[in-house]
Amino acid sequence: MVNPIYIIAILLGLGFLLPSLNKTGIKVTGTIFFLGILAVSVISFQWLAAFAFDGQELKMIFTAGFEPPMSINLQMGLNEAVIISLINFGALLGAIYSFRYFAENGVQALVVFLLFILGMNGLVLTRDIFNIFVFLEITSIATYILIGMDLRLKSLSAGFKYMIAGGIATVFLLLGIILIYSKTGTLNLDGMIAAVSIAGSSQILFVGVFILIFSVLIELKVFPANGWALDVYEGSDTGISAMISATSATALLFVLYKVLPLASMDLTQIIVLIGVLTFVVSNLFAIKQKSTNRLLGYSSIGQIGLLIFVIASKDVLGANFEKIFFGLLISHFLAKAGLFWLSGIVKAEKIKGWVKIKKNPILIFAFGTFIFALMGFPPFPSLAAKWSLVMILAENGSFLWISLILIASLLEVLYLLRWFGYIIKLEDSEEKVEKSNHQLVPIYVVTVLLYVAGFYLTRSFDAGLTINFIPLALVGILFLIDFLPAYVKNTLVLAAISYYGYNLVPELDTLKMIFALIFLVGGILTFIPGYSVKGKRIGFYPVAVMMYVGLVGLIEATTFFEFFFAWELMTVGSYFLILRGKRSMPHALSYILFSAGGAYLILFGFALSGAETGSVLLTSLSDVHIYATVVFILLALGFMTKTASVGLHIWLPGAHAEAESDVSPMVSAVLLKAGVFGLIILFIAMRNNDVSNLFYILGWVGAITALLGNIIASFQEDAKKLLAYSSIAQLGYILFALALMTNVGWLGAIWYSINHFLYKALLFLAVGAIVMKLKTHNMYEMGGLIKKMPMSFISVMIGIIALSGVPPLSGFGGKWLLYNAFILKGWYFQGAIIAFSGVVAFLYLWKLIYSIFLGPIKDKHRKMTEVSVWYLIPQYLIIGILMFIAMKPRMILEKVGISLKEYLPEDTVTWNGNAASTFADGKLFGVWDPFYIMIIVMVLFGTLLAFLLVASRKATKVKMFNVVYSAERPESPQTTHFSYNMFSHYRKAMGFLALPLVSNFWDFITDLFHSTSDFFRKFYNGSAQSYIVHIISFVVFFYFILNGGIF
Amino acid sequence: MNITNIVHIIGFALILIGFWGMLTQKNMIKIILGLAIVEVGVQLVMVAFGFIEGRTAPILDSAVELSKASELIVDPVPQALVLTAIVIGVAVNALMLTFVIRLYQKKRSLSINDYKDLKW
Repeated sequence: MVNPIYIIAILLGLGFLLPSLNKTGIKVTGTIFFLGILAVSVISFQWLAAFAFDGQELKMIFTAGFEPPMSINLQMGLNEAVIISLINFGALLGAIYSFRYFAENGVQALVVFLLFILGMNGLVLTRDIFNIFVFLEITSIATYILIGMDLRLKSLSAGFKYMIAGGIATVFLLLGIILIYSKTGTLNLDGMIAAVSIAGSSQILFVGVFILIFSVLIELKVFPANGWALDVYEGSDTGISAMISATSATALLFVLYKVLPLASMDLTQIIVLIGVLTFVVSNLFAIKQKSTNRLLGYSSIGQIGLLIFVIASKDVLGANFEKIFFGLLISHFLAKAGLFWLSGIVKAEKIKGWVKIKKNPILIFAFGTFIFALMGFPPFPSLAAKWSLVMILAENGSFLWISLILIASLLEVLYLLRWFGYIIKLEDSEEKVEKSNHQLVPIYVVTVLLYVAGFYLTRSFDAGLTINFIPLALVGILFLIDFLPAYVKNTLVLAAISYYGYNLVPELDTLKMIFALIFLVGGILTFIPGYSVKGKRIGFYPVAVMMYVGLVGLIEATTFFEFFFAWELMTVGSYFLILRGKRSMPHALSYILFSAGGAYLILFGFALSGAETGSVLLTSLSDVHIYATVVFILLALGFMTKTASVGLHIWLPGAHAEAESDVSPMVSAVLLKAGVFGLIILFIAMRNNDVSNLFYILGWVGAITALLGNIIASFQEDAKKLLAYSSIAQLGYILFALALMTNVGWLGAIWYSINHFLYKALLFLAVGAIVMKLKTHNMYEMGGLIKKMPMSFISVMIGIIALSGVPPLSGFGGKWLLYNAFILKGWYFQGAIIAFSGVVAFLYLWKLIYSIFLGPIKDKHRKMTEVSVWYLIPQYLIIGILMFIAMKPRMILEKVGISLKEYLPEDTVTWNGNAASTFADGKLFGVWDPFYIMIIVMVLFGTLLAFLLVASRKATKVKMFNVVYSAERPESPQTTHFSYNMFSHYRKAMGFLALPLVSNFWDFITDLFHSTSDFFRKFYNGSAQSYIVHIISFVVFFYFILNGGIF
Repeated sequence: MNITNIVHIIGFALILIGFWGMLTQKNMIKIILGLAIVEVGVQLVMVAFGFIEGRTAPILDSAVELSKASELIVDPVPQALVLTAIVIGVAVNALMLTFVIRLYQKKRSLSINDYKDLKW
């Protein structure tokens, strides 16, 4: 094992050697420079390997042959080894990235960079407090020079502010050291810690420890003493910013970790507070930020704040501390370095300028990797770390911290994904990205490492051990083979889904099987249209499959973490899918915000449940009693963001309407059922936990959602938006039916879930294909397409019959079950609303079929032909299934009813042949025989058709500009445009129900955050003297708080 | 009042004067001088903490008998620290002054208020 003292010796030695070799040229000095960094990296990795695999024990290295306090000692343990490996490897990548920048500034730059690495290694290894001061100064001075080296005005003024702040921090550090020394008589950290614990509460010692730790906090750029740091991130060369954000912040965090045992309980609490505050405030200020590097600076400071919080909570976190800390640190380290490096390549001052990389799928992939790693989405290490952090905080009752951390995380999602949306969706710019390989290599390396770290670190948590990474590997493979033509990938995906479903479905219980079939059959049906796409369809397949992997993961999940992991995976996949639509930028953002917010509510709910029961199993929700109401509300709200219940629905219309034609059914017919599935799991688990009032409220929410959804749908001109609002209403029915908590009610909910999946997929496929072909969403620009697209007409016809719930198709069964259920339950008012909204649905369904297919054809559509056969195949498959289950509902419903009896014994349905019947107080209540209904309706329909064929022989043909009602036999043509604003008369009566009150509310909330952010960030006014005031008042303020005994 | 206390008071007074200078002066060179005064104050405070009344400098020469050295000299550690702090302080101050020179070359101004382009 190489003595770590050689790390310092090598770096220092080369620092002296290189200037003397200056005349040999940059090639020689550069080679030696890299060899040096490589050597120290190898030494640190060697130690890391020894600790990780060979059971190496903690090692003390004494310099000068004496033991402390006579000499300075270094300590090498597992933590030190991880940290210096990170730092040295990061520095190696940073050196590769910045080599051109260094070379322009001569051999001095190389020397300074070596000293920079030396300082950081020393900070991590030394156990002598004064040595910390020396290494801190070495690191700082090297950083100042690296910043100011390029002599730009920005970097010089940023560097000057940094020096002032650093100078003040140094003063505090020295004062702290001498005060502690005067009381403990040693400079050795371990000696000090021992002496402090004996010495107890001496005022001088207290002051000493206080300012020592606060000087470290200032160097760590905590709020509010961090205005200078933002200027540094913005003003410096990006390669240097990357190093400051990643490597030197890491070293300083470790210094905080080392000196923290000196702190009293009160002081530790203050640090916890400062950490959270920094995380929250930085993310809040960041949402108004437009300058790239400053935004990254805010994000960086926020992440470091969270890490400070984790370090100060070390005792609370216990055995999981290291995993959480390293999970968050490594995600931040790799992602932030990568982002700064990427920023250096893109060279766009404003985040909107990043649209330059639109044409570079690999750079977009790297960027996506970085921001999703920062936000803590799967499969990155930050997800498991944040998860564990929240779980443990909940056990300790730190609900305030959890709320603040989750709110700040949501703000982070807002600004990072808005940025991502700009890249994908803004108008392409003419500028090209200048790339050079030596700058790209480090970016690629950290991208890959994030996935590797994600895999290993996630599995290092107990919760993460059971995560199934195999389906994720398929997503990875799809990213790698994205250069293949679309039909190859489509076939591969269809085969994979079929194979997986074939193995999975037979193993499941009835309820899960239904949802697995919805997800998997839905997958197959919605991937078939993919064959109509020519070319590669870059980026579609990996993300679509990611969504389906998440959906199936929900079914398979048994623990909270598995469920959450799958939930987030599904969310990310569907976000990318939605973002693919042409005008979907704002809608995708609002979708991911609601989803992430919902996910955080779910996380909080799970954490509370785990805190009370100590179990990680989903079924343990039934044991929650103290927190039952809160857990139920949190989880229900979380799932209702996906089912788009009223109040949480505003993301849906845009997201579904603007998505690509074959994506709309994926995110509508299939994805929404994930929320239903979540609700079902929740309701089953918590049915006996004294939350019946909440079920009652949810019943009302469902009913109101159904009504409003249908009314607003009737006023739409956009065909896909109409279908989207209709989905909201249908999910309202489902929520209402679930909230009834009776057997027949749930049968209705399941039946609606299956049917909504089928007919909404059918309608979105049919309408989507037409919209794509006609290049307009507006129904008043369509019309008369029945002869051009007869196959689509039949699809839509069947779809609306099924949806409307008139006999004979399966929608009728849903209504029958639902009406029986609410009457038996006695929810008459809500039931009346449900029934009324069913009537309203006829309005928009009529509008849909009339405006698109009937009436006169528009002139430009005269040569229109039928839509692509790849869209028709799934439609007719669905029609087949719809017809079949309409005749034989017993095949599904009887089994479901029996499996539900275990949980919901009330109001069951009895089957006799094809007929279903319900009973109230032992007497027969309702009967439904789908087979006879089908026959009766067919006979009636046949008779009417025959009559009409005979009676309409005299009807005239409709000509251009002649508008008629479809069932009318016009004697003289009318020339008004009927299709536009079709239900204006109803609008007068019910329009007030369609006012955008909910959107206004959420707009108000976002405005509030934005204006708060904009107002308070002015606090960083750019003046070095203001920053001095911030720093000094920060220290003084907390000194008085501590001394005042508030804590 | 013994000499230790007097030095302490002077040291802390210098620290306050230095901070006052850093906060009130607009000229960047004066701000740096303010920081330098703060540093001197800190160094005085540090030395005073190691001082023991009636003892001599921690230099082992003919004036100090080797066997009784630990009873005759003051605590050498703070003095060593101060030496290091002075060296580092000088280096940082010199570097700051070079930054000011470069800044002056860019904008022909020494006022701190002219360098507020980076903000918010």
